[in-house]
Amino acid sequence: MLSESQKLIEKKRIKSLPELERPRTVRLKFIKVGSLQYISHLDLQRTFNRVIVRACLPIWYTKGFNPHAKLVFSTPLSIGAQSTCEFLDIRIDREMSCETIMERLNAELTEELKIVDAYIPERDFADIKWASYDISITSGGISENTPEQIMQRIKEPIFMLKKTKAGEKEIDITGLIHSFSCKLVEGDIKISCTLSASSTEYLNPELLISGLARECDLLCGSPLEEHYDIIRTSLYDAEFNLFK
Amino acid sequence: MNKNNTNISSILKSVSKPGRYSGGEYGQIIKDKSKVAARFAFCFPDTYEIGMSNLGVRILYGVLNKEDDVWCERVYNPWIDMQEKMKEHGLPLRACESGDPLTEFDMIGFTLQYEMSYTNVLNMLDLAGIPLRSADRDDSMPIIIGGGPCAYNAEPVADFFDLFNIGEGEEMLPELCRLYIKMKKEGRYTKREYLHEAARSIEGIYVPSLYEVTYNEDGTVKAYTPIYDDIPRQVKKRIMKDMDESYFPEDAVMPYIETVHDRIMLEVYRGCIRGCRFCQAGMIYRPVREKTPEVLNRQAKCLYESTGYDEISLTSLSISDYTELERLTDLLLEWTNENMINLSLPSLRVDSFTKELMDKIATVRSSSLTFAPEAGTQRLRDVINKNVREDDLMRAVGVAFAAGKNTVKLYFMSGLPTERYEDLKGIADLASMVIDKYYDTPERNRSKKPQVTISVSCFIPKPFTPFQWEAQDTMEMLADKQEYLGSCITDKKIRYTHHDARVSRIEAVLARGDRRLAPALELACKEGFKFDAWDECFDYDKWISVFERCGIDPAFYANRAFGLDEVLPWDIIDCGVTKEFLLRERNKAYEGNTTPNCREKCSGCGANKLGGERTCCPKARS
Repeated sequence: MLSESQKLIEKKRIKSLPELERPRTVRLKFIKVGSLQYISHLDLQRTFNRVIVRACLPIWYTKGFNPHAKLVFSTPLSIGAQSTCEFLDIRIDREMSCETIMERLNAELTEELKIVDAYIPERDFADIKWASYDISITSGGISENTPEQIMQRIKEPIFMLKKTKAGEKEIDITGLIHSFSCKLVEGDIKISCTLSASSTEYLNPELLISGLARECDLLCGSPLEEHYDIIRTSLYDAEFNLFK
Repeated sequence: MNKNNTNISSILKSVSKPGRYSGGEYGQIIKDKSKVAARFAFCFPDTYEIGMSNLGVRILYGVLNKEDDVWCERVYNPWIDMQEKMKEHGLPLRACESGDPLTEFDMIGFTLQYEMSYTNVLNMLDLAGIPLRSADRDDSMPIIIGGGPCAYNAEPVADFFDLFNIGEGEEMLPELCRLYIKMKKEGRYTKREYLHEAARSIEGIYVPSLYEVTYNEDGTVKAYTPIYDDIPRQVKKRIMKDMDESYFPEDAVMPYIETVHDRIMLEVYRGCIRGCRFCQAGMIYRPVREKTPEVLNRQAKCLYESTGYDEISLTSLSISDYTELERLTDLLLEWTNENMINLSLPSLRVDSFTKELMDKIATVRSSSLTFAPEAGTQRLRDVINKNVREDDLMRAVGVAFAAGKNTVKLYFMSGLPTERYEDLKGIADLASMVIDKYYDTPERNRSKKPQVTISVSCFIPKPFTPFQWEAQDTMEMLADKQEYLGSCITDKKIRYTHHDARVSRIEAVLARGDRRLAPALELACKEGFKFDAWDECFDYDKWISVFERCGIDPAFYANRAFGLDEVLPWDIIDCGVTKEFLLRERNKAYEGNTTPNCREKCSGCGANKLGGERTCCPKARS
């Protein structure tokens, strides 16, 4: 971490970096795990706004009455889900290598919110169509037969109320699942699945497991929120190429 | 995530705003607990969002952690849904950083910022599984410390604390830790010995159990008697003499979730030159001690670099009284503008509000400005020594309107000593005049209508003020006055809100209470009272029932005029300002005479005996 006086010197140095002809977008891949799973998307945005200031990056600011940094995030994550594959695009207006950017940001972040890659992007966030998740469910209502029961049930339609822009709608969520597997590990249900993640047909993994919990009676009446863990592990495009 | 959160994590998904409890903030201080000699839990008896906004906590967190062998952690009171979940799962209250239960700490400090948080103090001890009363805690239990403005009369909660810090804690708290560590190392620590030694050797330490209180037949206090000869008969408050030299944190724990004051708070000076007669802060923080603009500018820069905040708030009791405000804002603006940082000034006085000042500050972005005339007529403003004239207000709102603003918020108080109905009518008249002023301002924003909000609180007599002896109006009187004022307002452009008189009455009881209130607070805790500063949690009838069952008459504390020669529960504390001065000020109030501010003329309040640099006080001893 730079000391405060080093930062002041650094701030001045940035002004002497070569200017770019037009703002350059740099994509940051980051993880959001542990206690950070409880931080909302909005709070995450605010956090990054401060982090980029602390990191002394040559950030490009919008022109106009209320100048601000342009931060664009990929598919938002809901509260209570962790991820090892979040993306954020920032824009810089002076020359700085992606390695330096990543290094500087990580000096201002914690182990639970950390940049794991920085590069010039080739793909658009709109190309994101699918997301993979590892889910575990811990509950007293789980037995040896439960994985089999879940695998059978998932073949039939599961109707759930889904919030859309037009209001709540009952839909068959199994139509938004690409792949799904389920096994028992040390008494917990472990699910690996790939779900629709496009902006128009996003399936929240929590909705899926609450559907399964209801249909397969996994919880014996106790609240679902106390029994699951979700980690988003990767994002894909329509052809199932890993999104970068 | 820390180890103990394995249990917590399963319940966090089922509570509101889990980011309050998840911890892991950037800037938190983690130490190896096997290598520290004293662990300190700094408790803020309210929610995370409020506690994280408190500058005092930020300062003391830094001060304590500067000691290599002390580890200070933060604790906030979990909201009700979280408390229920914790109970359901058998989880005790834990500190943010380590996730360890409070019973594992050596010392627990509570900052007492407002009386209505007392129930949260007990609630938090209860959640931590710590016995409420000091007398019931043995040598194995943490030492429970209180501080902050309410410590100046903490008698209602005295039985629950082991000791209080009177005054500013930057030196006192490390000294308390050092003494604790020393006695532990020398193998001579007992709670009893420690408390005695702290009271004897550390200035500003008040150990309530070392003073015996007797009462007169009429219920008033007879005497406070120290049980040892070597402890002070009156505990003198501690101050930081030179604010430039005083510790100021140049980094901060950065909350992920939005807090109440989510910005850089730059403390410009302590104390206040004004001396409004109802105001406790204006008395207990005396004498004024300013920081120099250069030091403030450097501290602000450091904080900006270490936090990335985009707003700097200049905090002090009355910011426009800072002698070097012009120089400070100029220094700040040299670098804040280009970095898109806003300056905000939270405490403006109408008599010093100018166009130049407004042009510099961020409130330009909002369409609203707030002023506090406090009373509706000149007569009553003179009684309370507000020293603000109608012309000042009209000039100030004129400046604001000319700059395109259309809404003004005005703060008043009702139930002030000598108040008559014409003073209330005066509030409504003043609001109308502000509306008229809008239409008389040619440069106004012609596309908008003016709006004036008048917010009226209830007068609460507070210890260490010239009005400390006054009786609070009864609830019926306060309600009647609120209604009358409402009837005086007919203009739709004037919005009128007022505080709940029932809360103000309980606050008055706790503010002027003595040790005999302890059983009531204990019962309140048993009955599940918490978050009484929150409207949705406060229940007046339950409070009255608790007082009744404990044989306490709330009117004795709230609605009784205390005798001028009476021993007051807070006479045990010497806050610098003398009782004689307060009495002189009280008499001047009844004569309707004002007192000049400290810069114009010294009125001999007595606080200068405490010393201090850059005090504005011509008679200060440095």
